[in-house]
Amino acid sequence: MHLDMDAFFASVEQRDNPEYRGKPVVVGAMPGRRGVVSTCSYEARKYGICSAMPISEAHRRCPDAIYLRPDMARYVAVSKKVMLALGEISPVVEPVSIDEAYIDISGMERLIGEPVEIGRLTKLKIREVVGLDCSAGIGPNRLIAKLASEYQKPDGLVVIRPEQIQAFLDPMPVSNLRGVGPKARQELEQLGVYTVKHLKTYSLDVLRGYFGDNGGQHLYNQARGIALDQVGTKGGRKSISKESTFNEDVIDQRQLRECLRGLAAEVGRTARSKCLKGRVVTMKIRLDGFETHTRQKKLRNATSADGVVLNIAWNLYQESGFAGRPVRLIGLGISEWGGSEPMGDLFDDPEECKREEHLYAAMDEVTKKFGRGKLSLGLKKRD
Amino acid sequence: MKIVTSREELLKPLTMVGGVVEKRQTLPILANILINADQDRLKITATDLEVELKTEASVTKSEEVDFTLPARKLIDICRALPDSTEISLDIQGEKAVIIAGRSRFTLGVLPAKDYPAIEIEGAIKGIRVQEGVLKNLIDKTQFAMAQQDVRYYLNGLLLEIADGVLRAVATDGHRLAMSEAVEGLEGAEDFQIIIPRKAVLELGRMLNDSDREIAIEVGSNNVRIIMGDTIFTSKLIDGKFPDYQKVVPVGTDKQVIVDRESMRQALHRTSILSNEKYRGIRFNFAKDNLELLAHNPEQEEAKEELEITYDGEKLVIGFNVGYLIEVLTVISGDNVVLELKDENSSCLIRSQEGDSSRYVVMPMRI
Repeated sequence: MHLDMDAFFASVEQRDNPEYRGKPVVVGAMPGRRGVVSTCSYEARKYGICSAMPISEAHRRCPDAIYLRPDMARYVAVSKKVMLALGEISPVVEPVSIDEAYIDISGMERLIGEPVEIGRLTKLKIREVVGLDCSAGIGPNRLIAKLASEYQKPDGLVVIRPEQIQAFLDPMPVSNLRGVGPKARQELEQLGVYTVKHLKTYSLDVLRGYFGDNGGQHLYNQARGIALDQVGTKGGRKSISKESTFNEDVIDQRQLRECLRGLAAEVGRTARSKCLKGRVVTMKIRLDGFETHTRQKKLRNATSADGVVLNIAWNLYQESGFAGRPVRLIGLGISEWGGSEPMGDLFDDPEECKREEHLYAAMDEVTKKFGRGKLSLGLKKRD
Repeated sequence: MKIVTSREELLKPLTMVGGVVEKRQTLPILANILINADQDRLKITATDLEVELKTEASVTKSEEVDFTLPARKLIDICRALPDSTEISLDIQGEKAVIIAGRSRFTLGVLPAKDYPAIEIEGAIKGIRVQEGVLKNLIDKTQFAMAQQDVRYYLNGLLLEIADGVLRAVATDGHRLAMSEAVEGLEGAEDFQIIIPRKAVLELGRMLNDSDREIAIEVGSNNVRIIMGDTIFTSKLIDGKFPDYQKVVPVGTDKQVIVDRESMRQALHRTSILSNEKYRGIRFNFAKDNLELLAHNPEQEEAKEELEITYDGEKLVIGFNVGYLIEVLTVISGDNVVLELKDENSSCLIRSQEGDSSRYVVMPMRI
């Protein structure tokens, strides 16, 4: 079962502020500044506002909406309650994001009843605990469950049995499938493919030819409703990244480096708190005109050290050829968890490694006690 | 303005400098080569702003003129012409017309004054060595240079004179190669420079094993190597090379002597079934016998036995087979000495015949 809270941030705001109810509510950046819509209420969606739309565009469409900055602490608290409630339904809950989770309900018919009954009970429970609506989709695998939960939003409940999969998928527009963004959609449309039914007529080889080995295989599988059916409690985070959007485009190298330094500290701290070390460092940059690029570097040894992540990200930025152009957003992250190669380094100093470990442990301790940004690594002089 | 020459006169120097021109350039003019012509010679220059290579070609007749032409296209044209074709090159404003036999090509010209030059700065220290000596130093060590390492100073070759010894050192942190030369260096002034990887590879290709004398000139940011008509200039890596002496193992108590060629071949065979990513092989040293063992993730196995000269305790140790093969390929002499301590300590490899090269390879957890 896939469960998705309806217009989560906006619904929380409407719940806590009765005067917002029945009105278009947009949570995200403030109009007149930069940023995008995080969530908007269903009333706002009538004006054509949707998530990830630039806030200026939303404001143009509906200047009278209630615009709010997100209050993450409150949403996280609500989300925690939701996840706990889900845990009472089934022991296997995999939160995907703050407002979404997969729940394994296989073998629970005897305990509760028909799948549709389980869905109804879950929705009821969430309404009881946090007073919010959600949409649930139940299916034999993750893909079908997720598509089913999207099918009747808001406040939906859709159950797809294995024998119904193809009938459910066939009429769907291909853009509903995972990994079909504007680009892939355009390419599919050029092939004359609009629905899943039509997509199914293409052979695996042809799809691979157009979308690459992985992309093609993924589409081929999805068209046939083939997907993973495992729900893991561990979840498994694939990457840790942070980014920052500037109010005004930034060219100043010092300011950019300073910003990356802050982001690296956050990424490093998050990684260390989860005992993760990444072998790939990614630098993301968005220039004027929304031109977005990422650059990656693979490391020999996994790291969670702020300094290493910062220096590599900074080098990636310097080598990207974008240095000197106005930057709208910059970010960095690490991924590909792992240890070190099974081979040491001639110039590694074990003492130095231990010292660094102590240093970061102490820094994390201080940050935990006194809050973010109170203590940071000194800037090395660069000329 | 006409330049007349032959395909052969032009092709050799062009191919020589052509390797310096990058396939993707940051400035359009870097796709070009600079030609400075006088009555009977052309000076041909290529650069990527890091490395500059200048050489000369003799021509039948010419006038004094400077211009730049697209390198790749010019080389491809010369190469595609029949042997000993006479080539005439005529610069007409922004175009160059090349006539060779019944072929006629019109190429775009960019002004010579825009062509960037690398100036050698600072007090220049210099030595003169035989071409073959420098070639040997590079050949014996360059394979161990790092590639795109975060430690940028490892992405090159250390060349130094210290106490009358000319030494090249390369390392990527997993293995280290070091080679020395002493002849004819009495009284040479000490220096220590790191030559970037691309320049080293280019130099290695250019140098011949000859006893011709060449000059190495070191400035504060550049090195220049003068080989007759040809002048090679490279920027230097500004960084501190790690203390390589510190990682040369001391206190090794196990000495193994192997036949270089049979060991290389055995390693090569065993490597076929080693893990493609890490290429680990297990070395089982026993009295006068070495067993090599490789496994891959598909659970396939390769095993080799090799006669060696060894009289110490048994030792099981893992190595990246690629690193050892590379060492055995460049090391000279028929017999090679491996000096070992335990499975966690790096191995020192040298030629038994007292070659001046030494190699350090880190072991691998298997």
